[in-house]
Amino acid sequence: MDLKTEVLIIGGGATGAGIARDLSLRGIPCLLVEKGDFTSGASGRNQGLLHSGARYAVHDPEAARECITENRILRRIAPHCIEPSGGLFVSLPEDGPEYRSTFIRACEAAGIETVPLSPREALSLEPRLNPSLIGAVQVPDGAIDPFMLVVENARDAESRGARFLLHTEVVSLIRSGRKIAGVRVRDRITGDEYAVSAPWVINATGAWANRILELAGLKIGIALSKGSMLITNTRLSERVINRCRPPSNGDIIVPNDTVSILGTTSLRSEDLEHYEVTPEEVSFLVEELSRMIPEVKEERFTRAYAGVRPLVQSAEACDDRAISRGFTLLDHGSCDGLEGLLTITGGKLVTYRLMAERTANLLCEKMGIEVPCLTHLQRLPGAGMGKALGDRLLRLRRQTPAARGEILCDCELVPREAVDAILREGKVRELQDILHRTRLAKGTCQGGFCVYRLLGVLNELHKGGEDGGSNRTLKDFLEERWKGIRPVLWGTSLKEEELIESIYKGLFNLASDDSGASCGGAK
Amino acid sequence: MKRWDLIVIGMGLAGLTAARTAMEMGAKVLVVGRGIGSLSLFGNTIDVLGELNPETKMESGIRGWIAAHPDHPYARTGAEGIVEALDSFRTLFPSPYAFAAIDGRNSLVPTGAGTLRPTYLLPVTMAAGAAMRREETLIVGLRGFKDFQGDTVSLHLRCRGVTVSLPRYGLEGATALALARLMDEAPFREGLGEMIRQQMAGEKFIGIPAVLGLKDPAGVLKTLEAITGARVFEIPMLPPSIPGTRIFHRFREALIAGGAAFHMGHPATGAAVENGRCTEIYAENPPLTSTYRADRFILANGRFLGGGLWAEMNRIREPLFNLPVSQPGSRGEWFREKFFQPESHPIHRSGILTDADLRPVDEEGRVILRNVWAAGSILAHHQAIEEHSREGIDIATGFLAARRALSA
Amino acid sequence: MTPGNANRTPARTFPDVCVRCATCMAVCQVSRVTLRFPGPKQAGPGAQRFRSASEASVDDWIELCTSCHLCDTVCPAGVPISELNLMAKAKFLDERGRTLRDWLLVRSDLFGELAARFSRIVNPLMKNGAIRWLLDRLLGIDQRRDLPGYEYPTFRQWFRTRPAAEDRKPEVAYFYGCFTNTNETDVGKAAVALLEAHGFTVTVPPQRCCGIPRLGIGDLRGAKEMGERNLDLLLPTVRRGIDIVFSSTSCGLMLRHEYGRLLELPGAGELAVRLFDLCEFLGRVRGEGESVVRFRPLPMKAAYFAPCHLRSLNIGLPALELLRLVPELDIRVIEAECCGLGGLYGFKKEKYEIAEEIGKDLAEEVARLQPEILLTDCEGCRMQLRQLTGIRTLHPAQLLRDVLD
Repeated sequence: MDLKTEVLIIGGGATGAGIARDLSLRGIPCLLVEKGDFTSGASGRNQGLLHSGARYAVHDPEAARECITENRILRRIAPHCIEPSGGLFVSLPEDGPEYRSTFIRACEAAGIETVPLSPREALSLEPRLNPSLIGAVQVPDGAIDPFMLVVENARDAESRGARFLLHTEVVSLIRSGRKIAGVRVRDRITGDEYAVSAPWVINATGAWANRILELAGLKIGIALSKGSMLITNTRLSERVINRCRPPSNGDIIVPNDTVSILGTTSLRSEDLEHYEVTPEEVSFLVEELSRMIPEVKEERFTRAYAGVRPLVQSAEACDDRAISRGFTLLDHGSCDGLEGLLTITGGKLVTYRLMAERTANLLCEKMGIEVPCLTHLQRLPGAGMGKALGDRLLRLRRQTPAARGEILCDCELVPREAVDAILREGKVRELQDILHRTRLAKGTCQGGFCVYRLLGVLNELHKGGEDGGSNRTLKDFLEERWKGIRPVLWGTSLKEEELIESIYKGLFNLASDDSGASCGGAK
Repeated sequence: MKRWDLIVIGMGLAGLTAARTAMEMGAKVLVVGRGIGSLSLFGNTIDVLGELNPETKMESGIRGWIAAHPDHPYARTGAEGIVEALDSFRTLFPSPYAFAAIDGRNSLVPTGAGTLRPTYLLPVTMAAGAAMRREETLIVGLRGFKDFQGDTVSLHLRCRGVTVSLPRYGLEGATALALARLMDEAPFREGLGEMIRQQMAGEKFIGIPAVLGLKDPAGVLKTLEAITGARVFEIPMLPPSIPGTRIFHRFREALIAGGAAFHMGHPATGAAVENGRCTEIYAENPPLTSTYRADRFILANGRFLGGGLWAEMNRIREPLFNLPVSQPGSRGEWFREKFFQPESHPIHRSGILTDADLRPVDEEGRVILRNVWAAGSILAHHQAIEEHSREGIDIATGFLAARRALSA
Repeated sequence: MTPGNANRTPARTFPDVCVRCATCMAVCQVSRVTLRFPGPKQAGPGAQRFRSASEASVDDWIELCTSCHLCDTVCPAGVPISELNLMAKAKFLDERGRTLRDWLLVRSDLFGELAARFSRIVNPLMKNGAIRWLLDRLLGIDQRRDLPGYEYPTFRQWFRTRPAAEDRKPEVAYFYGCFTNTNETDVGKAAVALLEAHGFTVTVPPQRCCGIPRLGIGDLRGAKEMGERNLDLLLPTVRRGIDIVFSSTSCGLMLRHEYGRLLELPGAGELAVRLFDLCEFLGRVRGEGESVVRFRPLPMKAAYFAPCHLRSLNIGLPALELLRLVPELDIRVIEAECCGLGGLYGFKKEKYEIAEEIGKDLAEEVARLQPEILLTDCEGCRMQLRQLTGIRTLHPAQLLRDVLD
């Protein structure tokens, strides 16, 4: 089953998928491998914010300019992945009017359009804001769906010949002297191993960059910065709400379909794969963000999650926020004597396309070809559909079973046909692949009812799981769900948990000690 | 103002049992509450102590358990108290829809996930599930009824499964209540029985979701068994629970017929206490507040779901009387790192401490309110989920609390 | 959405306290019989997460909720589900517009008085097949629905012909409600007789329709206006220290609870503490022991049905308690949740079948019990019971009045 390609991309986050699209638009054959599903890394664990760049205007005007340029490009090429909600930068009394003026000037200098608002105007737009605010500034922030963005990039690339292999992990690099010749990979689902030969390999694994580089005995300085976020049960604001002060933790509330995402923190993490949201972070976020929207204190949270961002280190930095969110592009040929290997890491979701462009440019230069980048000009395939807001109401309109057949997820109104459509695409290899592609399990009960139903549907279609049966999958799901729920269990969320636990451990008797068809009571 | 002999706060299984027990002792009883507790959620069979080894006889098993768990609610009731309470419960369900244990032991019955669950008293509509043999069983799912996934059940039980479309109605997305109601109609269930019969391949047992009617489930069972020639059993599914709703209706009917007052819809939200006694409780019905006076009160309003306990960000409270709640030290200790693990989450053991008579006490064992008794899942030192003891604790402590309250 | 809208935005915490337990789904009568309505879990707190005050409503199925409030009585978390439904219905209908039929039907006080005056013409017309067909096609009033007959003189006119009040006796005021006034005057007469028998002198203060039909079409503004008028008329009585008694369950619910809780009218609380259901009041007056007022034996088989709205009043079953005092009366309680009529709901063509289907359970229970007479406090339930069973149906007050010793 050995494969061959021109450019092998490792990493299915925004950067990797963006590179695949860029290359495919330039007519360069490529193949992307990703050890999980799309957006397994930072791309899948951020706040879903389409930056206007205003946040960086005062302290990093270069980054701000990049952001607003890319913001506009993305709105043009990917309108269906974006809710153009707009954003506010809110000044509280302790933030002072001086910073606000500085902020407005800096935005202007960076080319970010702003509209200053009086407290009354701000409150009429967003009634839940802290009434003691001293002013607000409107900016072109938005909410973005990173998963959809990445899937769309991949779809576009695939239509032009690129190939994507998910659940496929790189286990070793193949060298031919001082040149890279390809990689060996393992399919994580089947366990099969095979080789992919390629003269060019791009390491777009983000925080995992060193995992790949270690295979070649190389290493770069990467700090891991963990950011935690809380998801509310109901949507708190129409727009993105930012704090108008020097960028800090607990600054941002991003709307996302029916909910809001509160964030974030930045703590050093030593571990790439095992990290959790701590009670201190939860308390901090509740406390800090209730300054902007007081109701946050009484809010019900359905989930907490964290993501790890790769920050390429410079020797002087001690505070993670001082490290630039600019990215790093390395040519290991010139740096380390291994030709054909590039690493791209760092950066923000909103500048993924730019990162991809730079990477593709460098690659073309090394390949000795001159083909222009087209990614900023071409729209993504699904552009032309409505998004978010329209979709939310559409789901509501079609709510009755008589009108729409089976609804699997009551909380987010996901119909069975949405799942059928995903299954028809033929790419689903495990449960999370389906969950990533719909809003199923993302609502109030976090999959408490609908995953049981979904697994039943899969069993019906004989896609339920191996010999252990789907209960193994169900238990894995519940365990995974637990990580997100445990940090926010008090008040109503705790009631919810009592219900779900009683159903699965009591009524369904899914015991802790076996693989599936359990027989409770036998001790 | 009207005065009752006893006011029961909460109308889940514990509250209903307490009210009925008191009413049968001749007391003037008022039940105040909102919702029917776990009866609408999981109250399908009567779990007493599913954790026991399946070979063990319940009565002796309970004695051993009590000896090993002196703080458990069953230690308050004693094994005899449990037996008496269960017998009393059973008298509310005369034949044909009767509850019974099989051979005085726990039975293992199939669940909606295709696992087996231990339970004690089974209604007649589920009895056959304890006797089913995989090779001879057919699991029947109903197309469009998503809260019971027949293929999941048959896959894990390793028996044959079919899905039938419902007769006469194109019921995509049918609810449990709608189905139960249809089952109460003879033509519908006869049609369904016929459809099942046509799908059979000689099976002797048929498992079907627990929607076998609200009014006459035994009659529905009889019809289906007559048409299919097999033994039929219900399998509980995701909430709402039809079997639990049947239990609630029986209690309500008996309480009203027996002259008890039944105020459902507005929970007790306040209480007045004087000299260590509760004098009256209040229920909000905006813009009014109802006041209820009695000589005795039983607190049986559940745990977090029922509102008997409330978890603030760092502390668990009992909101009505502000009773001390036995609980882990801080929120970080409420839950374990993993969802599934052998030991339950510590928070499940939290609750109200009581003396031997089920009167709430503080950490030193002193009675706090002389005319208030606690019953049901609000009690500390049990973990109904892992023990599979929910209904048994509700019934036994509700029964005991009423007995104690009326003899005090 | 429109400025000056009387509609409130629901408190944001309402959907938040829902834990998706689906207990409400175990009692909703509408979702039990039709798939067009998704049920309270989805219609209320579920859909609320999707709705936005600044966007046009899309939930056209929200009209199918009958506002029986059964879901509210069982929600363990206290989600005010029917209130959420009502607010959504109000917004939806404000945007879509209401029909001529609905405009007519909610003015029952106005048209009722007219119809009563001309009842000798109106009543036969309302039974005329052609007229009913016309009403069905033009206005959407289902021709299968039996329409109540009008009576003349109205209750209020009858009351005016009675001798003046005796000063010595304690006074109690009576709120009769539109239906008693123009369609079932004997209920009012029975109420007055019972109150007088218990030693009261009855007065009938000026009063208007309570406004609950407006809620049925989501007209919160209209309901508020009517409430304000009624409060102006009734508060003086209350302020004289006089209690007010009602015999219509739904009127009682509206006056005592919805004026304050839902419509937030000033003075509503003051009215509420003085407002009582007739049987509740009589029960209190009679007290715990023997009362001087006795009832004669009535060896008859009767069945009592508790209206949905009676649960929301949170007074238990006071009518039943009184009926149990009638010697030799075999009084049973009908085990059924809801009659299905839903006030004006069941008159409407698009909802008639739902109402009928819901009521089937009740009809079957009655058939099983085989009573000679049916008793219920709510006029809607009485209408539905008569149509479903054909058995003589009375307000409990009427039977009690007939057996006064």
